[in-house]
Amino acid sequence: MLGLAIGLCTAAPDLDHMQALAVTRYGASGGEAVAAWRRMISEAREVDEAGKLARVNTFFNRRIRFVDDIIIWKQSDYWATPLETLGRDAGDCEDFAIAKYMSLRLLEVPADKLRLVYVRARIGAAGSTITQAHMVLSYFETPTAEPLVLDNLIGEIRPAGRRPDLFPVFSFNNEGLWVGGGTTSSADPTTRLSRWRDVLERMRSEGLQ
Amino acid sequence: MSLIKQLWIAIVMVTLLSLGGSLVVSTLAAKRYLEQQLNVKNVDNATALALSLSQLPKDPVTVELQVAAQFDAGHYRVIRLVGPDGKLLVERTAEPHLDDVPAWFVRLAAIEAHPGVAHVQDGWQQFATLTLESQTSYAYTELWHSIRQLLLWFAIMAAAAGVVGSLLLGRITAPLRKLVGQAQAIGERRFVTTPEPTTAELRVVVRAMNALSERVRLMLVDEARRLETLRKQTQEDGLTGLFERRQFLNVLGAQLVDHDAPTGGALLIARVGDLSELNRTRGREFVDTLLRALADAIRNQIGEQPTWIAGRLNGSDLAVLAPGVAYLPLWAEGLVKALHEVVEKHVMAGDDGGIALPIAAALYSPGEALPTVLTRTDTALAEAELAGGRAVQLDAWVRLTQPQRDQSQWHQIISRALDQHELRLETYPVRDANGTLVHVEAPLRLRLDGEWRGVAYFMQWAVRLDLMGRIDAAVVKAALELIRLSGHAVAVNISSQAIGNAGFLAGLLHQLEMAPNEAPLLWMEVPEQEAARNPAEFRTFCLALKPLACKVGLEHAGPNFNALGNLHDLGLDYLKVDASLLRDLEGNTGNQAFARSLCMLAHALGLTVIAEGVDQPEAVTLLSDVGFDAMTGPGIR
Repeated sequence: MLGLAIGLCTAAPDLDHMQALAVTRYGASGGEAVAAWRRMISEAREVDEAGKLARVNTFFNRRIRFVDDIIIWKQSDYWATPLETLGRDAGDCEDFAIAKYMSLRLLEVPADKLRLVYVRARIGAAGSTITQAHMVLSYFETPTAEPLVLDNLIGEIRPAGRRPDLFPVFSFNNEGLWVGGGTTSSADPTTRLSRWRDVLERMRSEGLQ
Repeated sequence: MSLIKQLWIAIVMVTLLSLGGSLVVSTLAAKRYLEQQLNVKNVDNATALALSLSQLPKDPVTVELQVAAQFDAGHYRVIRLVGPDGKLLVERTAEPHLDDVPAWFVRLAAIEAHPGVAHVQDGWQQFATLTLESQTSYAYTELWHSIRQLLLWFAIMAAAAGVVGSLLLGRITAPLRKLVGQAQAIGERRFVTTPEPTTAELRVVVRAMNALSERVRLMLVDEARRLETLRKQTQEDGLTGLFERRQFLNVLGAQLVDHDAPTGGALLIARVGDLSELNRTRGREFVDTLLRALADAIRNQIGEQPTWIAGRLNGSDLAVLAPGVAYLPLWAEGLVKALHEVVEKHVMAGDDGGIALPIAAALYSPGEALPTVLTRTDTALAEAELAGGRAVQLDAWVRLTQPQRDQSQWHQIISRALDQHELRLETYPVRDANGTLVHVEAPLRLRLDGEWRGVAYFMQWAVRLDLMGRIDAAVVKAALELIRLSGHAVAVNISSQAIGNAGFLAGLLHQLEMAPNEAPLLWMEVPEQEAARNPAEFRTFCLALKPLACKVGLEHAGPNFNALGNLHDLGLDYLKVDASLLRDLEGNTGNQAFARSLCMLAHALGLTVIAEGVDQPEAVTLLSDVGFDAMTGPGIR
């Protein structure tokens, strides 16, 4: 009962709390990054969905440096929350995708239009055989439409057909996962067992729903 | 509510709370754990299936096969694929298998697991949303079995707790019961002491009660000692230790009026002739020594006889009273011989004539006036003095009061009288100061030799033949009948032989249990001397009768009070003070003081005090001033 009440109280995202945390953890530059992100969000509220996609994609691609997890976080494959990504001004492909996903969710883009996609990315020239594991964000205007790909390898948003260097393997979002306002998640010891659920929980605790 | 019940309720509640609480807590924990497991399984299985489906060609058959394969091989309740437009592509469902789990438990437990949701894609396109739910029935079964097992274990634990609880309570209640017993005993004026228990709280209480009992005992010991001193001062002659005149005559007088007394007895007076002359010639010390020696000789002769007494009537006269003696010459001979021996020892060589010691003896019978008896004896003594020297004069009236019989004949006639119920109770009232009847004294009369005879007639033979048990049982039976008929309390004498007889006691208890309405009105009294000489049997008697609500007391009490010992924890109900202490009370301040002290002591122990042998109705006022609660005797009708 108490958890439900707390959950309801914090149902709305608390971006001030997030900004304060950024200052505490990452200093003034972190606070400034979050402030800039908030400005972008509030500006993007006015435009249509396509505009939202463009603004979010551009913001993160320009601002965040692409670095492998092992260098930033001293461990492989750490999924960072948007706060952590903005604070360090660096992140890897999942961090980009998660940050963009959450920003678009904040802008009230419905979850069933968005997918985080595991892809096999071909690096280098057209004939190259070097592939790398990668993650992108895909957007479906209608459920049956061809998706648009938001990526940090290529800055502009392109339809999937125009991204022959990416081969999709699996996609997911947070539909069906009982997070954000739910009472069970924080009390549930299995939350920390799954990276996706873990990052969702950390985002919730930072003030981002 | 009883303390034991309260303790039991506490034990039961604690056991139920703890076991019940554990049961509920562990069941809820188990349920939560199972739900978590199911949630994780659902998500993981959905993601795995969606991942594998995403890699396969999406023709309907392959898709359906994949779903079916996963479903059939696994433990699922439903697997569902829904297209992006909301159309159902594939669905597999299964009924839960809840055979051995009751439906009410399923409803109660309500294990809720979130279905796992994952996305299947065809290349970049959305293909379907996969929803997957695992079977929960095994969870219910698991939960149900674990609850059943827990209940079994808890039942065993509860039984063990019950056993331990009763053992514990037993250890608590045993000293508690003893404590309650002691408190009840003190309430019944039996000031007993018990060993202190180990439990701290109970020990404090028992210690206090023991202190109380000890104080009562000490008070009794003190008072008895003071009474004894008082008695010695007022009743004993300082030099010889025999009774002084007043008391001796009181006893004799009491014997003459007692309706319970044996039929008559003997009186002997020995006089040291020419005492003043002896004082002059031989000196005071010599005379004192002589008198003391004579007194010792008399005491030796009296020996263990309970009712015989000796006294010093005046400076020169020593007297012996022997109730129950019927043949004078034989009895007197022994005494005379002893006295003459003493005198012989004290005669100095060369003395002419020696020391004169005239002796006279006479029989008396009950109903005679005291002056008559004294006159008879004095006359005989005068004749002996005239005769001079060591003359002995026996009063010529020798009476044979009983027919000569042997033991078997006595046995026969007494048994016949008992068997044919030739038995009745005389009644003498006992009244308090206002004249209200307290109870009726009922001495026994048996028809022997054609007449109703008192106990004294046959008592010595009955004692020798060990018949007192039967006789006293018949007395109690008659007394209970009398109570039933008349409705007022009745007092009977119980002999010490009967008390010591186990059969009598058992029979008595049975009789009293059979007559619960009459038992509280039955008063039973034992002579003080008998009680003092058989303390163990008397104690058993008192304690056995306590629960039956009848009253137990002492008669002829007073002279041997000091020898009674542990009076404080017997729970006696009344004392009847011997007539010899109360005769001539008006002028006898020493006896008054003694009687007053005795009454105070008796009242402190909660006893009713009754005066015996009251022969003048006017004495009632004085007696009740002294402290007596009721009176009986020839003067009370």
